[in-house]
Order: sequence, then C-alpha cells, then structure tokens
Amino acid sequence: MSPTDGRGAASDATGGTSHAPAIDHQKLLAEIDAEVQRKRESGDIPADLERELDLVFARFAPVDALEADFEQVLTRAEQATFIDVIAPVESSRPVVPIFKKVVRKVVGWYLRYVAQQTSAFAHAITRAVRLLGERVDVLEQASPVAAQRAAADGDVQPPSAPDLSHWAPTLARWLQATTGRVLHAEAGDGALLAALVEAGVDAYGVDPRPRPNVVNEVREDEAAVHLRALPDGALAAIVLSGCVDRMALGAQLQLADLVATKVAPGGTVIVLGTHPAAWAESHAPVHVDLSPGRPLHPETWQHLLAQRGMTESEIVAGPPDRAALAPVPKGDRVLNANIERLNALLFGPSSYALAAHRPE
Amino acid sequence: MANLHQFVPTFEPGAVGAHTVELQRLWRESGRGESEVFTEHVRGGFENENRSHLFTDYGTKRFPAGRDDVLVYQMAIGSVVADFVKGRREPLVLNHHNLTPVEYLERWEPTATWGVQWGQAQLRDLAGRSALAVAVSHYNAAQLRGVGYRQVEVAPLLIDVDAFDAQVEPEALDALTAAKAEGGTDWLFVGRLAANKCQHDVIKSFAMYRRVYDPGARLHLVGGAPADAYRAALEGLVSTLGLRGAVSFTGPVSTGALAAYYRTADVYVCLSEHEGFCAPLLEAMHHSVPVVALAAAAVPETVGDAGLLLAGKEPAMVAAAADRVVRDSAVRSALTAAGRRRVQDFGLARSRSRWLDVLAQAVPS
Repeated sequence: MSPTDGRGAASDATGGTSHAPAIDHQKLLAEIDAEVQRKRESGDIPADLERELDLVFARFAPVDALEADFEQVLTRAEQATFIDVIAPVESSRPVVPIFKKVVRKVVGWYLRYVAQQTSAFAHAITRAVRLLGERVDVLEQASPVAAQRAAADGDVQPPSAPDLSHWAPTLARWLQATTGRVLHAEAGDGALLAALVEAGVDAYGVDPRPRPNVVNEVREDEAAVHLRALPDGALAAIVLSGCVDRMALGAQLQLADLVATKVAPGGTVIVLGTHPAAWAESHAPVHVDLSPGRPLHPETWQHLLAQRGMTESEIVAGPPDRAALAPVPKGDRVLNANIERLNALLFGPSSYALAAHRPE
Repeated sequence: MANLHQFVPTFEPGAVGAHTVELQRLWRESGRGESEVFTEHVRGGFENENRSHLFTDYGTKRFPAGRDDVLVYQMAIGSVVADFVKGRREPLVLNHHNLTPVEYLERWEPTATWGVQWGQAQLRDLAGRSALAVAVSHYNAAQLRGVGYRQVEVAPLLIDVDAFDAQVEPEALDALTAAKAEGGTDWLFVGRLAANKCQHDVIKSFAMYRRVYDPGARLHLVGGAPADAYRAALEGLVSTLGLRGAVSFTGPVSTGALAAYYRTADVYVCLSEHEGFCAPLLEAMHHSVPVVALAAAAVPETVGDAGLLLAGKEPAMVAAAADRVVRDSAVRSALTAAGRRRVQDFGLARSRSRWLDVLAQAVPS
C-alpha cells in the first residue's frame, strides 16, 4: 500500500518478507478491554483512580483552560484557598531532603500562622463572589435583556436542524451538470450532503454545531464566515439551509450578497427554506417552533437573488402535510376545487426549494 | 526546464525543514531545473550552511525570477512570506503541513494563537491563488478542501528513513542501558511539550501502568517545551503523583541521543489529539519499538496496521494495551514486523517518485 491510500506494504526493512503472523487488531483490543474490565471488577484497578488522575492534572491547568465557565473558575478559586504549608522535601541529592525537613519544621509554626489568615481571607472573598454570582443569576432570569441575549446565543448554536433528505432527488437533478465544488451550508447531520456525494456531486458542508469528527466533509463553521473567506466565484454551487430560517433579515440580505459573488458564473444557488406558512399549521415540524429567526417566502428569495443578477429561478414546494383534506372521489368539481384551495390555506407547504442561476 | 523554488516562513531543522531540503535535492537531482529555498528566518544551525535566501530577494536583481519558475509554499504558520507569494504571478503549489487548532493554544500558549489564526486566514486566502495543493496526509487534504482548495493531492513527507540510524550517542545509550539493567519497562514519547500532543494523558496512563503492571517502569518525554505553562503543569502532575524519579523531561536532544532513546524503549505511546502526519511514529517503527496510539487526526493514516490504535485514552485501557505489547511476544513481533514494513511505505525512493508525479501537474513540461 502506498502512504497515500493508508494501507501497508509487503516487504520489511531488510528487503525480505516478514514471518511474523499478522494480528487481528479488533480481537486484540477486545481482549485488552476484557482484561481491563476484569481488573476493575477485582479491584486491581481502583475504582476512582482514573478520576483522581484527572483531578490532579486539573489542579495544575491554568484557569484559562477552564473554558471560561464561571462555576469552574470559582470552584478552582475555592480549591486554591487552602494553602499547603507542608512543602515537598524530595531531592536528587542525598543530604538535601534532611536539610529541607529541618527547615520545614523550624519555620512551620510561622507559616501555619500566616497561612491560616491568608486562607480565611481567600475563603471570604470566594464566598462573596459565589453569593454575587447567585444574585446575578437571579437578575439574569428576571431581565428581558438577558432573555434576548439567550435568544442570540441560540442563534449561534441552532438547537435543531430540519430533515432535508427528501430534497436529495430534486437537488441531484439541479446539480447533475455541475462541475466543481458545491458548498452545503448548513449541512446539519450531513444526510443530504452524503446523498449528493453519492449522486456524484463534489460537495462539502459547513455547520456551526460542534461535530465530533472533523475528518468528514462537514467542517465546523458559520455559513457567512466560511463564504467570506473564499475567493469570488470559488464555488460551482451553493446550497443554503437552516441558516436562512434562523438569521435576522439584515443577515439574510448579507448572505444573499455573499452567495451571489462566491458562486461562479454559470453556477447555481439553491435555498432550502422553511415556508412561513408552516407557522399556521398544527403539525409543523419541531424545528419551525425552535427557529428564532424570520424565514422568507420563496418568492422573496427569488426577488433578492434576481436583484443580484441571478436568473432562471425555479421554486419547488415541499411535500404536503399528511393531514390535508382528501378530495371527494367522483365528487363535484367545484367542491374538489374548494377543497384544494382549503388545503392550500390550511395545510400549505411547510418547506420549499429554490434554485437560481448566475449567468455565464 | 522549470525551476522549483520553495518559500518557507522559518527554515530550521525539523520535519518541515528536512522535507524542504529533500524536496530541493529531489528537484535538483531530477535535472528539471534549479531549486532554491527562500525564507524569512533561518535558525537551528541551518543559518551556518548558507543554503537559503531572504524571501524578498526573489524577483530582484539579486535573484531574478525565471519565466518558467514554479513556487512552492510550505504552510505551517502565519507569515509575511505567504503574503509575498500570494502577490507573485508564478504558478503556486501550496504544501500544507497543518496548523495546530487554536483551542489548544489559547489555553496554554495564548500568545501563539495570533500566528495560527493568521495562518488559517492565509490558508483560505491562498486557495484561489494556488494551482495545486499538496497535503502530507488525507487528514490535511480534507482541511484544504474544506477551505476551498479544488485540486488537492496527497504526498507524504519526504523523510530519509535511513537517517534514523544516526550514530548512537554512547553516553546517552550507556545511561539508559544502565537504568534498564535494574529492571522496569521504558515508555517513550517524542514531540515538543504541547497540549495537543497530550503528554499529560501519557503521564496519567503511565501512572496507572506503574500502579497495576510494573512499579519499576520509566517514561521518557523527549522534546522541547515552547509553552512554560504546559511544562509546569506536567511537572506538577509528575511531582504530585510521586513519579519524579520515573518520568524524565529530556528537552531537545541530539539525533544520536534520540537514537539511544528509541533503541532502549519497550513501547512508544502516543495519545496526541492533533497531528498532521507525526513523523516520530515512523522513527519508532523503524527502531522496532511497538506503537500504542490514540486513533486521532492523521495518526491512523501514518500508523496503518502497524500499531495498536485505541479509540479512547482511558488510562486503564492505555496501560493494559502497553502491557500487552510489552509482555506478549507474539503481539510484539507482529507489530514490530508490521512497523518495519510500514516504514518502507514512506521510504524516500517511493515518496520521491510520488512527489515528481504530483508536481508534474503544476510544472510546465
């Protein structure tokens, strides 16, 4: 195997063939895991030893390593209020430990006297900060400004992503002639992206939610931030979803500017949006209620993209709600036409897809 | 004839420096044209060898640009050199060596985060400017594609694996052998002391190993310490766990001393969370030291099936894995044999051939 495809070669360093039999890595790891379990059960591995090891290192990590979490930082401060006057005495030189022990004993009474007062002062300060933190919590919960800030935080980390997999055939059709990189922002769980790649589209995704594995084709990034970093005309197509439901109006207009410049001449911009009519439905998807922004009608996106030079747009409505009224079999034409109108009013599409093209 | 000139922010000994030298040698020996190295800083001994030029000399009377020049930029940190090559008109090949994620630096080396963020911005900036991007691993290649690079190839670091057989420093070998004669397993990890390399997790696993399997074991952490805060935390951890006599922080060592550490090691333990390639893994395999490693970032690509790759790094699991490869001769033989084969995958002849193929895409014939 070549290093470029991740597999191994057949000959050893001496140019000969190794006689050592290959090992079954999965089986070996399972055996090791079983041994660890046995040792845990028998007490050979003390139950709390791993946690103790973590705690010991945490004592030495800088406060900056605590993710700016108020509770964690305050806990560290409280731990640090205890001042240990029993200094270590080890040394690589033979006589020094004895000397250190003598010094420690001689000055111990004085250090304890000072340390007790310093610890009491530090404890009082941390206690005061904790009380202050509790009062700030109460104020934040009662304050409308804090509530707005919490909503803004939700805007950064969207709590839920719509299921987009049903759009895969439509997008595969729109993108089948595309040659070049296609960006999907936000890609969510990557299901639609995977379907596009499967269909032969050279696609990758971005999503602001932290992802456990950055090796796959979805990287953690904001759509607008990612687009701003790309050269103009860098992408053959851009698929927008999620963020268009969540963003404030001004941010959506900026996003429209961005996609119109970052897509190459001849390229395609696709918007997968939640239809504003979804809020009137009784069976709207969960993400509709969780979207803090203001989704636009497909016709509005069509208008915005046309203003930015995009043409030949096409709108496809999402699947109808299953709760829609059924037409009367062999019924009156007028009656069925009215049922159809009623369905459109009561159970209109909860989502839509729009494609627009940048002229060559 | 086409000249291949390399631009590197800092020209110094190390993985990127050695790779740059080998690439220059490859191009010159191929007879396809000249190859020079241009840089902003030269250090670590390279400054005495007079083999690089100040990057601003390129395109001046001192070093006129050729009509068929191709530029290679070695990307590893933010640098004014990147802005310089971006402003040139010659075809550009970007060679990506990875950037340490900022989240590791801002906790321990906050002053270093700016350079990395600058590098990230420059990496994105150069996407539209580069005719070709070359990553030293598929892990790095995915990052390049994620920031807009379209033509991305993977070619390994040019490493002279035969140079791993450096003359062993006798004093270092004697000291390590004398300690070994008293019994106890020798664990080894090589790499600068940095939070992304997670030496603290190696120490925790080593503490577990001494507690459960071998009270006489020793751990050698070989490498410099750019971050004082992280080194201090590691030393505090070692001291608190009562491992002062068992864990050694060697600092930077000579190649001869490094060879002595590899020669006396029983197991190489790597729990690094972020590596763009990780050349020390190849060094360990070359010296027939079995590898136990966390399967993270580019490590699985480099190790292949020649090491024991762990999904997590719970100290109990790491310690048990290390004990198994040390004590089970069948497992040890299989891993070391696979390791020697794996090193040949990255042999210089094979890597040089791959690089010539890749560069042919950007160099006019």
